[in-house]
Amino acid sequence: MTVDPNAATQGFPPHGPVPRRPGAARYLVPALVASAVAVGLGAYGNLHDPEGTAFNLAGFSSTGAVKSWLATVATGFAVVQLVSALMLYGRLPGPSWSGALHRWSGRIAFLVAVPVAVHCLYALGYQTYEPRVLWHSLLGCFFFGAFSAKMLLLRSERLPGWVLPIVGGLVFSALTVIWLTSALWFFRTFGVTT
Amino acid sequence: MKRSGPLFTLLAGLLLALFMLSVNATTGTRSASTGSESPADAVSSSPAPTAAPTATATVTPDKPSPSPSPPLSPGPSRSAVRNGDYAGRTDDDSSAVAVTLRDGKAVAYFCDGRNQESWLKGDVEADGSMRLTGGKDKDQVLTGQLTGKRIRGTVDMGQRKYGFTADKAVKPSGLYRATATVRGAKVDGGWIVLRDGRQVGILKRDGKPTPAPRIDPETGAVTVDGKQLTARPVTP
Repeated sequence: MTVDPNAATQGFPPHGPVPRRPGAARYLVPALVASAVAVGLGAYGNLHDPEGTAFNLAGFSSTGAVKSWLATVATGFAVVQLVSALMLYGRLPGPSWSGALHRWSGRIAFLVAVPVAVHCLYALGYQTYEPRVLWHSLLGCFFFGAFSAKMLLLRSERLPGWVLPIVGGLVFSALTVIWLTSALWFFRTFGVTT
Repeated sequence: MKRSGPLFTLLAGLLLALFMLSVNATTGTRSASTGSESPADAVSSSPAPTAAPTATATVTPDKPSPSPSPPLSPGPSRSAVRNGDYAGRTDDDSSAVAVTLRDGKAVAYFCDGRNQESWLKGDVEADGSMRLTGGKDKDQVLTGQLTGKRIRGTVDMGQRKYGFTADKAVKPSGLYRATATVRGAKVDGGWIVLRDGRQVGILKRDGKPTPAPRIDPETGAVTVDGKQLTARPVTP
C-alpha cells in the first residue's frame, strides 16, 4: 500500500469551522473557471463559421485519422491515469513513482488532446445534428472545463477526500465518452486506418 | 505550499492550442487561395466580403481567432439570399441532402447512397424559402427554409417524405457531380461530402444506380471502371 507523499489533499478531515470562508473560494474559483472554459469553447465552436479544413500531419490519410489516433493515445494515457490514481489512493499495489506516473501521464494525455480539440472547434464547430455529435460536442467542452477545475483544485490543500476522485472521475468519464463518440466511431466507419 | 505544476500544465495546453490555431489560420488561408477554382465564396456575387477576411488573415496570420464570420455574416442584403453550400442528413439518417444556392437559384441533391437519388432545381425566395422540383414529372419536391447557417425542410420522393437539416458546408464538403462516357456506358455520379468527411453518392451506369466510389474531396478525382474522372462542384 503506497501513498504519495505529495497527496496532501487526501485524507485530511476539514479543520473545523475556521477555514470555512476561504473554503468557499477554493471551490468557487475552479468552478467558475471550469464554467468559463466550457461555455467559452462551446460558444466559440457555435458562433464562428467552421473552416472545414485545417492543418494535417504528414503520413496520415485524413485529419479524421490523425485525430482518432491522437484521441486514442490520450484515452490510453487516461487509463494509465485511472490505474495510477487507484495506486495513489492505495486501492492497487503500486510503485513509489506512481505519483510521477500520474502527473506525467495526465500531462501527456492533456497535451495530446489539445490539438484534437483545436481541430474540432476550428474546423467542425459545435454541432448538434445527431445524438452522437451532440454528446461529443457537449462533453468535449465539458472535458476541458472539468480538466481546468481538476488542475486548479490540485492547488488547494485540505480538500475533502472525495473531491479529487469525483472530479477526476468526471474528467475520465467525459474523455471516454468523447473517444467512444469520435475515434471508435471513426474506426468502425472507415476502418482502422492511418 | 501552492503547487504550480497544474498551472504550468494548463498554461502549456493553452499555448499549444494558440499555436495550433495560428498554424491552422495560416495554412488554412493558403489552401483556400490555391484551391479557389470554385469555392463557395469565389463565385459570390459580392466580392467585397470575401476580400476582407483574406486580407486580415494574411496581414495578421498569428491572430488566434481567424474567424472570417464577422465580416461575412452581418451582410444580410435583404434583396437576395446569400450564395452558399449546405449539406446534411435526413432526420431518419438514411439519406443525405445537399443544396447549393447561387444568385437566387438553387440546386439540390437527395441521395441514399444505394439506389435512390434525385436532382432538384428551383428558385430561392428573398426570405430564404425554396421549393425545388425534380424527377421526370417534377413529382419530387424539396421544400426548405434557410435560417442563418442551415436549411430545414422536407424532401418528398413520392413514396416517402424525408425531413432534413443541412448545415452550411465549407469546402471540401458540398455537392459534386461527374458525368462521362466510360467504355460506351453513360456514367453519371453525384456525391454529397459531409462536414465530417463522410460521403454519400450514387453512380449510375446507363441509368442503373450503384453505390458510388469515394472521391478525393480535395481534387474531385474518382476512378470509375478504371478511368479517372473529376467530380466538380455543382452550381445551379
